[in-house]
Amino acid sequence: MSAQEPNIVLFQCQWCLYAKTDQDWVENALPENMHLVKTSCTGRINPLFVLNAIQGGADGVMISGCKPEVCHFKEGNLGARRQLTAFQSLLNHIGYDRSRIRFVWMDLQDTGRIQKELAVFEKDLTEMGMSGVLVTRKPGFEGGMHD
Amino acid sequence: MTDLETKLKAEAKRLLDEHLVDVFIGFRKENAPLHPQPAFFTQSDQLDDFVYNNLCQNNLAKFLTRYPRETRIGMIVRGCENRSVNHLIVERQHPRENIVLIGVPCTGIYDWRKITQRCGEEISSVEITSEKILVTTPKSKFEFEPKELLHVSCARCSQPNPINADLVIGDPVEAKDPARAKRQVETFSGMASKARYEWFTHEAERCIRCYACREACPMCYCAECFVDHGAPRWTESMVSKAGMQTWHIIRAFHQTGRCVDCGACERACPMDIRMTYLTEKLNTDMEIEYQFVCGMDDKTQPPFAAFTMDDKTRFVA
Repeated sequence: MSAQEPNIVLFQCQWCLYAKTDQDWVENALPENMHLVKTSCTGRINPLFVLNAIQGGADGVMISGCKPEVCHFKEGNLGARRQLTAFQSLLNHIGYDRSRIRFVWMDLQDTGRIQKELAVFEKDLTEMGMSGVLVTRKPGFEGGMHD
Repeated sequence: MTDLETKLKAEAKRLLDEHLVDVFIGFRKENAPLHPQPAFFTQSDQLDDFVYNNLCQNNLAKFLTRYPRETRIGMIVRGCENRSVNHLIVERQHPRENIVLIGVPCTGIYDWRKITQRCGEEISSVEITSEKILVTTPKSKFEFEPKELLHVSCARCSQPNPINADLVIGDPVEAKDPARAKRQVETFSGMASKARYEWFTHEAERCIRCYACREACPMCYCAECFVDHGAPRWTESMVSKAGMQTWHIIRAFHQTGRCVDCGACERACPMDIRMTYLTEKLNTDMEIEYQFVCGMDDKTQPPFAAFTMDDKTRFVA
């Protein structure tokens, strides 16, 4: 992994990618600098998961979920949006750039969108450079130990 | 004993004697004059060492969740405590009909740290009147204005009067300028992001993980806190950088739309760590985005619980 490539963690609601090709791509063909965390709904994403990813060295976190009307659990994404945007704002308050957390709310016809969004996000993160803020642990695959 | 104290004591005695409450929560005199302790009176003859003054620093709403729902609780409430109680009722921690609230308009809590900084650790007695505070140490005497000893949270208090207490004792206090309440968080937000992170790191790294802030906070009533949870281990419990930062961020985040900014966490902290600059930011966010102010009545659900389909316009894709 070269220094130029930013680490991205993708939190994905398992229902949000309607095209099988997209889901297969996310599961099997993600580039090496991107990591997939598949959850049952965006409502399952505890802000601790996001913080954990950031502390472990993620340069950016992308959260992909369903549009309001099409949530598999009726209103999981409504709660998630309130919590996660408030969390994003809190992290921004203590000096973590809010644009490093990005939300993508998927619709039925958005086939092929996740690839584009990830590419744009990667490009933006490359321009921003390494984050450095809040990175306090080694990533999990290196043992995840504290400083 | 001041006039206010006598009236409060008489009221507590009446409630206990007439068996209107099972327990009355107030404050008790201690050997250390700066630290009156929360006390739980179950009989009126225990009220001898009852005390109430501006050094009573705990938020008594903390103890509401420690009793079964059937217990009838009498309680002294100031403005912030009244808001905490209201929010605990919203979260169904205790039914309103089993609580008797004796309201006291609050003139602010004096920060005991400010007194020990100026007078030393050894303090023989403290005398409080409405104009001045007289502190006696074995060697000399000190005199202070109330203004200079106010705790920072009380200096910017926006709700000193009880909101829906059953009985209010004392004259209402004039509310302070609301713009002043926002000053701390505005100053902090005005700094560059690097300076903000440095500030946060400096505050978080002094933490010794004693969790006194959690024990003092009326909203922290979970049976098991996320830091104590063993499987899965959510975060490091040791004094490491990652663990301490996680504790400070998530503790504040769990107060989103629930914090009444009473400052009990800061007063309880043995390391003098500032924490309200985080919770206040979240309060401001909730106020701007959802027009929600915590604890102003005992019906309104907090924003994280009150999402509806109307939210769909807010989704930014």
